[in-house]
Amino acid sequence: MNKLKLAAGSAMAAALFAAAPLALAQEQATIEASTGIDVTVHEGDFATIQQFTTPGGISVWLVEEQSIPIMALRMAWETGSATDPEGMEGLTDAVTYLMNEGAGEMDSLAFATRMEELNMGFSCGADSETTYCSANMLTDNANEAMEMIALALNEPRFDQEPFQRFQREELIGIRTRETNAGFLAGRARAQALMPDHPFSRIKTADSINALTTEMVAQRKDAIMAGDRLYVTAVGAMTPEELAPLLDEALAGLPATSDVEGIEDVALNDPLTAPVVVDLPQPQSLVTFTAPAMARDDDDFFPAYVLNYTFGGGGFESRLMKDLRVEKGLTYGIYTGLSTSDHLNLWTGGGQTKNESAADFIAGITAQMESIVAEGITEQELSDAKAYLTGSYPLSFDSNAKIASGLMSARLEDLGVDYFDRRNAMVEAVTLEDVNRIAAEYLQPSNFTFIVVGAPEGIEETADLPMPLLGQIDVDEAGDMEESNIDEASDAVRDPNR
Amino acid sequence: MKAFLAGGLAAASLGAGIAFADTSEAEWAPTTFELDNGMDVVVLPDNRAPVVTHMVWYKVGAVDEDPGKSGIAHLFEHVMFKETDDIGPEEFTTIVQRNGGQLNAFTSWDYTAYYERVAKTQLERMMELEAERMTDLIINDDPEGPFISERDVVKEERRQRIDNNPGVILQEQVMTALYRDHPYNITVIGKMEEVGALTPQDGLDFYNKWYTPSETILIVAGDITPEDVRTLAERTYGQIESANTEPPQRGWQDVQPLAETQLITHSDPKVRQPEWERWYLSTSFTQDREFAYALNVALDVLGGGRTSRLYQALVEDQKIANDASAGAWLSLHDTAPTVLSASPSDGVTLEALEEAYMAVVNDVLANGFTDEEVERSRNSLAASAIYQRDSQAGMANLYGRTLAVGGTVEDVMNYPDDIRRVTADDAIAALRRVLGEDKNYIEAHLLPEEEQAAEESQTDE
Repeated sequence: MNKLKLAAGSAMAAALFAAAPLALAQEQATIEASTGIDVTVHEGDFATIQQFTTPGGISVWLVEEQSIPIMALRMAWETGSATDPEGMEGLTDAVTYLMNEGAGEMDSLAFATRMEELNMGFSCGADSETTYCSANMLTDNANEAMEMIALALNEPRFDQEPFQRFQREELIGIRTRETNAGFLAGRARAQALMPDHPFSRIKTADSINALTTEMVAQRKDAIMAGDRLYVTAVGAMTPEELAPLLDEALAGLPATSDVEGIEDVALNDPLTAPVVVDLPQPQSLVTFTAPAMARDDDDFFPAYVLNYTFGGGGFESRLMKDLRVEKGLTYGIYTGLSTSDHLNLWTGGGQTKNESAADFIAGITAQMESIVAEGITEQELSDAKAYLTGSYPLSFDSNAKIASGLMSARLEDLGVDYFDRRNAMVEAVTLEDVNRIAAEYLQPSNFTFIVVGAPEGIEETADLPMPLLGQIDVDEAGDMEESNIDEASDAVRDPNR
Repeated sequence: MKAFLAGGLAAASLGAGIAFADTSEAEWAPTTFELDNGMDVVVLPDNRAPVVTHMVWYKVGAVDEDPGKSGIAHLFEHVMFKETDDIGPEEFTTIVQRNGGQLNAFTSWDYTAYYERVAKTQLERMMELEAERMTDLIINDDPEGPFISERDVVKEERRQRIDNNPGVILQEQVMTALYRDHPYNITVIGKMEEVGALTPQDGLDFYNKWYTPSETILIVAGDITPEDVRTLAERTYGQIESANTEPPQRGWQDVQPLAETQLITHSDPKVRQPEWERWYLSTSFTQDREFAYALNVALDVLGGGRTSRLYQALVEDQKIANDASAGAWLSLHDTAPTVLSASPSDGVTLEALEEAYMAVVNDVLANGFTDEEVERSRNSLAASAIYQRDSQAGMANLYGRTLAVGGTVEDVMNYPDDIRRVTADDAIAALRRVLGEDKNYIEAHLLPEEEQAAEESQTDE
């Protein structure tokens, strides 16, 4: 009880309130531990994954890791911001912003204070198709930490004070994004390629001001429903310990959601010349985007391997070797495959001084032409496979990485044995496959180029088909590649890898 | 590749989030030893996955650059990837990645570090490669060659990191004013015109002076025993003879107190949200560990997030600010800056914001902290050490950067206990030493273009 006594005066009642359901959770844990939970154990090459369904019906993938007394918990729901009602763009973001801003008897400050006392983290976010919550906790006080999460998920307050703070922050963001090169490139790209799709809708001052806390509460119930939920966890925790804690947090959510699905994106034809978006800065951001294949397409792995040689392999990529090492035109240029349920793109980007923007684009185009005409070499293919397979264990060296990796596999429906099969799928890629893909997908004419800055020397430019309205997330140039080259640690960081 | 840590180009490097190793698990401990040639070795066990993080830290950084040669430490770090006697042009990366390794390097004012993350079976090969470029680097002196084109790459890197970003441009100006006669006054990446004039000979001189085993620290974190690391390190690095000369004198020096308070404004058409900052000289973990820990706690309570005094008063209660925080770059070797910063709500002038901000600070300076808020803060700083254990690369980096500026393994290990000893009195005393009435500071205003003219007509500063 020491920690409860530490709570400031205003938080006292809240802390006491929190203690009551805690006792219940412990009681359930005892019951379940004695009755047992049906666990399917997958002894994988990289992790031992325990699959089970809690008594409350929550499907979980757990990796037990006892060496550090922490747990990483990931929850995801297959509903995202693209289904915000028309004119209420930002509604899903309001939900996720407010999820750790007060629950039960605790207001925003009391909730944040209690999380600090427990040394836990809990926050939520959303992209266009998915809403995520993630939590990190010390296993010493996991019961109390999970109680906070249960309270947040089941009794969120959605108070006016933090809601209005959300609105204030969003209105500033809507102003500042107008000088953010990555945002401007993404918005122009969406306008060029899919102006009428929900992915292109964008938050506006009007849409933010139209929101109310009642809408937020309704939207929360529509997003965070049991039939769209996935859970993964990694840490010093057994299924018997975890199951009742998860049920306390998640079993009481609405069973189903009636949010409608999203239509697949039908991309417009690529633009035949670069679009220039003016921004007063010394460099131009150049992005280029073409259609790609779905994650479950047979061509995905050949494309993934090809991408390493084309622009995904850091210094081993052709674009980097030519435009950085050979020509000194950029600090970094990267490409990546971006796949989701409704949109698959091959994207790339880099920055160069305004004076060399035309040379930069010409260099990128020349590399595309060369890889289309001649393909890649046996050596390049074998180097790509060696890196992609050899570095794969590095994706499994932390609780946080494993929890997120398991979640990706669940959301993309890859199967519990995906991690064990993945390197073999990379190895099976043939030079013939790769070069066929190169010829089909990397034609310069497939790509729409967007330039943001004050570029010089670009002779022919294209206009956007309609006034700027929409935006999808385009990564900053540095983040475009698949994440496996980048160490997900801020300690050894380089925005460009 | 080849990042550099510009001493906090990003606000994320402010002090409150600094985490250290956990001592609550008594059995976990690093192993240290020294090779005959003076190379220090630290092994950090982590047996969760069959991988290792291999880092070589050189005790040289931008503080050690000669006048007019700013940027050489960082440019040289790029050149280390080029070519050696046994490794062909641009092949270093090829070999590492062909072996499934991830690699990079970074340069700060105080140190330079290179790392590879690989399956543990590849560790010896990585050691061979790093040992090779420690001794047998080739610097191409072709005036049209790779050294020259790498300067162009670094100039693009400077544009990307600094010149595109009005807030970073302002920070560069502030550091120049804050550290008049100290090398922290030039950003790590260097001045554009000086970088453009660096020569292959400058690179060679720098290499010969600084890159020697006695001036290095090897960190290996991961699934390997100290005995195996010693065997492999002796077979590779151990074959390098140490230079018989005295180690060169580092460029670190005392930081002179600020002679006067000064206002620096920077306006730019890209700025759509103003920013107010005050920069004070404070201390560092290396300078005075006890003082720095107390300041660490004090700044966390004052301005370390949503529950902090500043955020609650300015953002939540008065709604005068969109954000408000306080922090310090305490892991620098020499006296580090403490930074107060805030961003105004719409319609609030920076003068009004400053007045409200300093009212919170002055209230704290006069009346102190409560024991409860200090206890909560020091506990969460101490607990962050447990979470830190989850990242192998993060652990390697933590030990490396501590040792590179003269700290010890014990300093890292003892952090949770040391930070838990900070009392409310210690914290407030530290804050008073830094922010007292008699202290000068640099005030910085980041402004949209149209607002600077208006501000200049209103202020005498």
